[in-house]
Order: sequence, then structure tokens, then C-alpha cells
Amino acid sequence: MAKADTSEDREKMGTQSRGNWSWFFWAIMVVHCVAILIFTRGFLLTRTELPYHSNCSDIRSSPCLFDSDTNLNNNNNNQSRSDQFCWTRPAVNRLVIIVLDALRFDFVAPSTFFEEPKPWMDKLLVLQRLASERNSSARIFRAIADPPTTSLQRLKGLTTGGLPTFIDVGNSFGAPAIVEDNLIHQLVLNGKKVVMMGDDTWIQLFPRHFAKSYPFPSFNVKDLHTVDNGCIDHLLPALYEEDWDVLIAHFLGVDHAGHIFGVDSMPMIEKLKQYNSILERVIGVLESQSGPGGLHENTFFLVMGDHGQTLNGDHGGGGAEEVETSIFAMSFKKPPAPTPSEFDSSFCQLDLDQKNMCIGSVQQLDFAVTVSALLGVSFPFGSIGLVNPELYALAGGTWDLKGPTSNCQKQSKLGEWMGNYVNVLCINSWQVKRYIDIYSASSVIGFSSEDLSQVSNLYAQAEEDWSSTKRLLLPEHESCNASSTTFKRQIDAYFSFLSSVAELARSKWTEFNLGMMAVGFGIMLISLFMHFFAIKMVSKSSGLCLPSSVDSDFPTLFIFTLFMVMIRALSFLSNSYILEEGKVANFLLATTGIVRLRYSIRENKRLIEAVAFLLLISILRFAIEVGLSKQAATSAFMNANPSWSIGFSISYHLSTCIAEIVSILALIVLACMQYKTVADRVCCGVYKYVIVATIFSYMLIAVHWALESNLVDFVLLLQGVRRNFIPRIIYAIGFGQLLLLVLGQLLEKETTLNCARSLFIKTVAMLSACSSTVIILSGTQGPLIALACIIGGHSIARLQSVEHNMKDKTPGISTSNPLSVIQWSLLAVCLFFSSGHWCAFDGLRYGAAFIGFDEFVLIRQAILLTIDTFGFSHILPVFGLAYLVSCQDLSGHQTDQEKFLIFMKLTQMYMIYGLITATAVTATVLCVTLQRRHLMVWGLFAPKFVFDVVGLILTDILICLASTYYFSQVKNRDVPQNQITEK
Amino acid sequence: MNVKKDGFVEPSSSENAGSGAEISVSQACIINLACALALATGFFTARNFYSVTLVSNPSLTLLLILVIESPVVILTYSWFRQNPDKCSYFRAVGRGVLGLPFGALVNAFGAIALGSPVGTQYLPKTLNWSLLMSLFTCVPAASVFGSAWSEWQRLFAHTKPKGSLDYLICIPAHGAVIGAWFGAWPMPLDWERPWQEWPICVANGALIGYLVGMVVSVGFILVNGRRQHLKAD
Repeated sequence: MAKADTSEDREKMGTQSRGNWSWFFWAIMVVHCVAILIFTRGFLLTRTELPYHSNCSDIRSSPCLFDSDTNLNNNNNNQSRSDQFCWTRPAVNRLVIIVLDALRFDFVAPSTFFEEPKPWMDKLLVLQRLASERNSSARIFRAIADPPTTSLQRLKGLTTGGLPTFIDVGNSFGAPAIVEDNLIHQLVLNGKKVVMMGDDTWIQLFPRHFAKSYPFPSFNVKDLHTVDNGCIDHLLPALYEEDWDVLIAHFLGVDHAGHIFGVDSMPMIEKLKQYNSILERVIGVLESQSGPGGLHENTFFLVMGDHGQTLNGDHGGGGAEEVETSIFAMSFKKPPAPTPSEFDSSFCQLDLDQKNMCIGSVQQLDFAVTVSALLGVSFPFGSIGLVNPELYALAGGTWDLKGPTSNCQKQSKLGEWMGNYVNVLCINSWQVKRYIDIYSASSVIGFSSEDLSQVSNLYAQAEEDWSSTKRLLLPEHESCNASSTTFKRQIDAYFSFLSSVAELARSKWTEFNLGMMAVGFGIMLISLFMHFFAIKMVSKSSGLCLPSSVDSDFPTLFIFTLFMVMIRALSFLSNSYILEEGKVANFLLATTGIVRLRYSIRENKRLIEAVAFLLLISILRFAIEVGLSKQAATSAFMNANPSWSIGFSISYHLSTCIAEIVSILALIVLACMQYKTVADRVCCGVYKYVIVATIFSYMLIAVHWALESNLVDFVLLLQGVRRNFIPRIIYAIGFGQLLLLVLGQLLEKETTLNCARSLFIKTVAMLSACSSTVIILSGTQGPLIALACIIGGHSIARLQSVEHNMKDKTPGISTSNPLSVIQWSLLAVCLFFSSGHWCAFDGLRYGAAFIGFDEFVLIRQAILLTIDTFGFSHILPVFGLAYLVSCQDLSGHQTDQEKFLIFMKLTQMYMIYGLITATAVTATVLCVTLQRRHLMVWGLFAPKFVFDVVGLILTDILICLASTYYFSQVKNRDVPQNQITEK
Repeated sequence: MNVKKDGFVEPSSSENAGSGAEISVSQACIINLACALALATGFFTARNFYSVTLVSNPSLTLLLILVIESPVVILTYSWFRQNPDKCSYFRAVGRGVLGLPFGALVNAFGAIALGSPVGTQYLPKTLNWSLLMSLFTCVPAASVFGSAWSEWQRLFAHTKPKGSLDYLICIPAHGAVIGAWFGAWPMPLDWERPWQEWPICVANGALIGYLVGMVVSVGFILVNGRRQHLKAD
């Protein structure tokens, strides 16, 4: 009787707490969200966008010379012209900008500038030829972009002349219109007509600015030609038209070819050759119209990249390959202007034809203001760049020089140019100073006062000299001898001011809000303690003592687990360990595997599983290394030294064939395993259908791959339909399966089944429902990784009870094993890396978002990308965690109390899993805080932070879903159980 | 002098019979000193006669240490073999020699699972390193116990050394493994030091762990001996 009472008590307590625990998972998710939100607000760059715009009349408040000054002295014949321009004298009338997305520097520069020629070099020969033949009117520049190097950020940076912030990366999928003052806005304000063709990102950024636009969808990376052909169709006719002042043509082919095929590939080389011929034609047209009175008499021609790309075709980070792009500039004015050699940042070398050729250097930051100066429009308000002397000089000497300096007859043309340039720099510095002042006045956290005073001092110094220099520029001044050196000194003073502002902006634009960061971190810490106490309470309420006296190994195991978690957490302090995170996880997983092996040797049990687990880890580590070498090829921080070199030299086709066949075989094995589950167990209703549907999905996947790789050639009839049809069916089946599971959850009432067994079947059904979608998104490696996942999970589950069963006489009551949970979590991390992902935005497999779909829809593609990225590392492991519990207790009939214990154990396991994930993320948060001034903070720590945070929230959500899915069974069972005990 | 402990009869060192698990403190010191001296000689030979160090040529250095250390270890531990009546000295030496490649296989497997680089250029390094690790971990046990699985299990899975010889085998072996494990930590760091290469820092860690293990084992034997004396009194 007494026994019955206690069990009844326990049961009541259980029902009480059971509700509580499900609630706990939701609560912890909310706490995590709040903590992360607060921390992110403090950590990720926030630059205040100022709503002010520059106006033509603003110039009157500057100390510099502006046109009305000269008008006073010159004859009034300039009066009509002064209406057309504002701050600077326009040097060019029309501007043609051809943007080639992801144009690497070595696509443009001659191969002699590099250590060894590569197949993709020297393809844009027309640019090289012009740059060497007409070195005074055409030049190639190395253009340095600022990270993040994604198209949207770069276009924003190019047009505003500012530094776009990191958080904008998230907006790259749905570009918002630019609200800040920018080049395009200024052009429109000054009555220039802008025509745009190509990448539709421009339309998103500038929805109302263009006089004419021909946008083409940019997000389908598989499509190399739509945008380019659209550009070509409209570009050449537009060159003969008169109704525009600025023409922008944005080609995307190189970017897409890089994303899909990589730089060293035939499609890339063909694209470059195509561009070469297009550029030849464009230049031919411009040339033919450039005579006196022609359409392009005073046209400036720019071919530029918005960012570079790595050899894999990725971009986004701050690596040298990603930030180095190129600008080719050419003026059609004849005769060419003199170039001031003093400001050359160029380096010269012999080109392919053994001619000397010089290549300049430009910051992309300077682009907006330089172009504004050339076209004579007011500079964008928020621009912090400087007017680049070389780029400006290419066209800047092409006025009909009747300017203020023209009455100094003896002065060389160069001197005139410098006089003009000094004035432009004066305006430039004044505009930047104005922006800095207003920014620090209106922004909550501006620049620090000492930095501001240093910048102000530099400006004051430059201004001091200006008053004397200004006199030299005024027309009445006659002595021209001293002017050149004075100008030079003045220019240097402005340079030092402007460069210090740019440096300041680059270094300090990260407005870390330390208070918010500390609050966020504190909440994360509190959540960890909540987690920990919840685990303790669960073990207490269910009678499972954590520091168990039953098992002498338990404290050691507990300490060992804690040690592993701590090592992993602390490893995030170093950038090297973050880079090699996959290897670190593998190392720790292997260590736990060895400890397991030791236990199984001790008990002389399950040796095969232990060794198989170690073997699996050894295989996984090779997969991780392959992934790492892929990352190393793209990352600026890693040097690629693949310690595992593939000795075979199989032809490409054969190796892909083998990969296909192996993965299809693995799929068949998976299907067989599932079939066995259906056949073996008493598998009731819904779950049976779910598993059968998965087997059908697997068959479809196999067919899909066979069709994709053309292993089977005879079904070419279905060309149009087949590519997207099968994946969509699979998604639909997966969704249907999930719905079916939910419905089954609601309908299922019978309690005939063994509790653990039904849990097992539920787990298998859930996993199989998720697996087909995850596998098709991961491509041919999918089934292999799924197989590894199953083997690993099975070994962990089988091994977890090794150290208990000898001592515990009642197998059902063994407490949940923290070592198994950390193994599970480390295995999940290893699977993330071995499936070819890594914590960087170029590690996302964008191709996966387009399996089954051709056109881009933000939410749909984002969901697919998330499933691909986190499928094997978060979705499957979280749902599969129940397998650990269910597998252990498969045999025998359980009493009610044991049934209850199984679910408490499951709760506890989910809590431990959540705690491990949250600990890792807390460590990441701490490390990001400590390393916030680190060189690689944006290249390495911030992406890692974003990935971890997304992973944590996803894990929390999945745990909540899993707990409602698995625990609802308990609630269904509670009623009969309690009735029985009451009787 | 026979002492009952855990129901296990400890034979005195003078008899050297039964399990052979008991040796005196001075003997333990001599064994450890011999092994340590052999290690030092190995390093000395490598540096002075072949002018290589662990950093400049890890493979050759490890091989030299191995060549000098292995006879010392095998010959000394074979002297304290279990059941000397049933097992001749040469048989024990043979067991030790056989244990060397076997232990190397186990160690190499562990290292590869933990992430040591694999490839043709790493093969000799991995081979020599794992042979040396085998010498530290498996060979003494192989010489003393042969293929007695229960003894291996007791020493390496349970870590329950009972006599002073057990301490002498068990603790340095564990020290070497744990040292090697910690030695792998600096490998991924971007310090660009030559010693971060596989297997230099791992070998260094193993050596340090082994030496520490030797000292600790002598300490344990001392404490154990004193306790037994006290108990006997």
C-alpha cells in the first residue's frame, strides 16, 4: 500500500512538473531571444544615417573658391554655364559606367603583374591595350573595396561614399531604398538624366531616380545570361541616343559564373571573352562619336567591379581577393590632359607587349566624390572619400581652360590643373568636415572627443594655409613660380586631413554599445543558471539523482563532460580555433569516443560499437578536412595545406559518376533500414504511412539525381518539367508527412504499445519525415552524411548504458547520461562541418536554395537555405535525441513509474542538450565582446556569432517543438495511468 | 612480509614470484632512471652525431630515440616479467618486441581519429611517433604481462594498479597519453612556429607526460611502501 501511495504521489508530482517543463523550454527560448536581441543591438555596427542632403547653394558657406567668385572677375559669359553646375567645374559632360559584378583585379590587369599567369587572366585585352597605348587618357586602377563585399553594400558604398554597416548584410536579400544622400540623388537633383540597365538591385536601391531603366532579375545564380543579354540589347542602341547624361550598365555574368563554376572554369573564361568583345564594341561606338561636336565629345568611360571574388566565386568578407577589384577609366577628350606625376600611387611594369604600363590605386570610398567632382554636382552629404587625383586627372584637365588660373600665361598646364585640384580638395575637405561635425552632433554615440579634436586640428592647419593659397588661385595674382610648391603643400595638408577622417571612420564606425552588450551577456549567463537548476529540479522530482551514489563513475563522467564543454567554450577565444572549429569538435568527439572505448573495454561489452564509432569519427574528420580546404581556398585567414591529399587522378566525369552511384547506394541502404523498421515493429497507422512515404521520397531523390547527372539519358523528353518537378514533390511529401504526424498526434489515443517502443517509432517517423528534404537539399553527399548520422547516433545510444548496466539491477531507472548528450551535440557540430558548411557567409550553399525553384522568393528561398545549412546539424539531431532514450529501453514491459521516468529522462536530455548549446553560444558572445577590436572581428568573429545565434534560436525552437511532439504522448497516457493508480 | 590487501596476496620482491607486482623503491628508481637516461641519450645522439632535433627533423629524431630507448625498456621490464617460472626471459623480450608494432597500431588509430594529418609526407613521422608512443604505453605491459587480457584491462581500462610494478607501468603510460593529448592543443594556433607541426608538439607533450608519470609513479611507490610498512607494523 505504501508503495502505491508513493508512486501515486510521484505520479501527481510528475503531472504537475511535466506541464511546467514544457513551459520551461518556451521560457528559455524567450530568454535567449531577449538576450541575443539586446546583445546584437549593442554589438553589430550601427551607423546613424543622416537625412541631410547637399545643395548647390551650400558651397557659399565654404571658404573655398566657387564659381560666383570667378564670375565676378570673368566676363559674364560664364553666367549661363554657372547655372548648370554647382560645386566644381564639370570636367566631363557624359558618363558611361559599366559595372561588371565580382570583377577580380587580375581579370583586368595584365598577367605580368602577377607571379604566374592563370587561365582567367588577360581576357579583357581591349582594356589592357587601351591602357598601355593611351596611358594619358586611359588607365587601369586597382580599386580597394571595404568589407562587407556583397553587391548591395558595395553599391550603397559606391554611391554614398560612406561605409555601409555589417547589419546591412541581412538586407542583401531584400534591398531597401537608400535614404542617405547619394551620387544618383545628386545627379537627379542637378538635372542629369540617368539610365540604368542590368542588375535589378539598382532599382531596389533607387526606386524613383532613373529616367529610364531596364532591370533584370539578379538572384537566380544559375542563370548566367539573362541579365547580360538584356544589358547588351539595350546598351549599344542607348549609346547613340542623346537623352541621357549618365548611363549605368550592370553585368552579372561573372559573379554568377563564379558562384556556380568558380573562377577557374570554362564558363568564366567564356564570359570574360564575351565581355571583351562587348567592351570593344562599346569603345568603338564611343570612339566614333568622340569627334568635335560628336555625341561623346566629352564622355568619360568607366569599367568597374563592385567587389572581387575568391577562386571559388565567393565574396562577402574582407579577404584580399574579395576586396580587390578594378576600375578602368578612359576619357575620350582630345587632346588628353596632362597627368600630375606627383600623386601617382601607381606601380609600373611591362605588359604583354613589352610596353611599360602603370596601374593606379583607388579606394572605392573615393568613387562617389570623384565622380561628383567630375560631373560638377554637389558631393553626397555623407561621403567621406577624397577626390582621387589620378582618376580626376584623367578627365580633370579637359576644361576649356578659361578658369581663374588661365591669366597666368607662364604657368604650365600642370600648374593649372593643380590649382583647380586644390580648390576641389578644399571643397571636398569642407564637405567632409561638415559631415563629421553634424554627425557627431546628431548621433547618439559619435566619435570620441580626442579623435575629433585631432581631425579638427588637421583641418584647421589646412585652412590656415588655405588663405594664402587662395590668393594664388585668384585671377589677379600674377606670380606663378611659387604656386606649384604651395599647391603641393596645400594638397598634402588636405590629404592628411581626409585620410585621417577615413581612417577614423573605418576604425571607429563600429559603435559598440558596451552597456547593452553587457546586459545581453548577463541575461545569457542567467539563462545558463536557469537551465542548470532546471536540470537539477527535474532529476530531483523524478527521483533521478544527478550526482548519483548508485554509480561511482557518475561524478567522474559528469566532471569529464563539464571539462569537454568548457574546452569547447574556451576554444572560441582564439581565432585559430574558430577557423578550425570542425577539427576541434572532431578532436573532442574522438576523445569522448576513446573514453567510451575505455569503458566498454572495462565492461567487455559493445566493443564493436565503440570501435565503429571511432572509425566513423576518423571518416568524418576527412570530410571535415575536405570542407576546411574548401574554406581555406576562399578565406584570407587560412593558408591551405590539405594534410590529406587525394592521390587519385580520376577524371572529373568518372569521379562524379562514382559519387552519384555511391550516394544512390547509400540512399538504398537508408530506405532498407526504414523498411526494416516498418516490417519489424508493430508499427501502427500513421507512422507506417509516414515511413513508407519517405521510402517513396528516397526513390524520387535517386531518380532526380540520376536525371540531373545524365546517368540515364533516355528521359530527355521531360526536360522542362523534370528539373523542378521532383524536388517540389519531395517538399510536398515532407510537408504532408509532418502534417500527418501532427494529425496522428491529435487522433492517437490507444495505449496498447510499449511506451519506449512507441517513442522509438515516433522518433523514427519524425526523422524520416525530415530527412528526405534535408537529403535532397544537401545534394549527393546527403545520404552518406545521413548514414553517418544514423551510425553515430546508434553507437552513442548503444554505448550510453555500458557503464551502468553492470551495476544497476533495474535498467530502466538509469539516469540520463551527460556524456552521451555531449557526444550527440559534438556529433551534430561535426556533421555541420563535414557536410561542407562553415561559419561564414560564403559558407552558405546558395545553390541549395534553388533546388526545385528557378525564381527568387525571399521567404521560400531563405527557408530552403536554412534547412540546408542547419538540417544535419540542428534539425535531425534535436529530433533524434529521443532515440537515445527510446533505444535504451526497448526491451521488456515497463511499469507506469518507469514510463514516467523515461519521459523525465527525455526532458532532462533535452535540457542538457540545450544547456550545452547555450554554453557554447554564451562563450561565443563573451569572445566576440572581448575581441571586438580584433583585426578579424568582421571577417571571422561576427559571422561565427551570427551562425551561433541563429543556431541557438533554431535549437530552442526545435526543442520546444520536439517536446510538444514527444511529450503529448505522456499527457494522453496520464489519464488512464492516474485512473489505474486511483483504483 | 606478505601483506594482505583487497584479498590479494602481494608477494615480496625477493621472491619475485606469483604476479611479480612488487618491486622495491630503489629498483623502481633504477628502472625509471635507465629509461630517462636512454631518452636523454637518444636526444644527445640525435643532436651531436646526426645534428638533427625534433623540430628540424622529427622523423629521424624520433627514430633515434626509439632505437636507443626500446632495448632499454624491453630488456629491463622483461626482467620483471610475470610468472618468471613459466616464462623465460627471452620469451618476455619477444613479447615486448611484438607489443611494439601492435601498440603502435593502436596509437596511430587513436591519433588519426583525433585528427592527426594523414598523407605520404606524414607517414614516416606518424609511424615513428606511434612506435615511440607504443614504447611508452604498451611495451612495458607487453613484456611484463604478455597477452593476459585481464591484466591489461585492469591497468588501462580500470586504472587500478595494485603493486609497485603496476604503478611503474600504468602511470607513465597514462602520463604519456594525456601529455600527447594536451600537446595537440597548440597545433591549430596561428603562431607560425615550426614546432607546431605534427608530431613535434604532440611528441613533446608525450615525453613530458611520460617523465612526469615516472616521477609520480616513484612517489606512489614510496607512499604505498610506507603505508604497507605501517600496516605491517
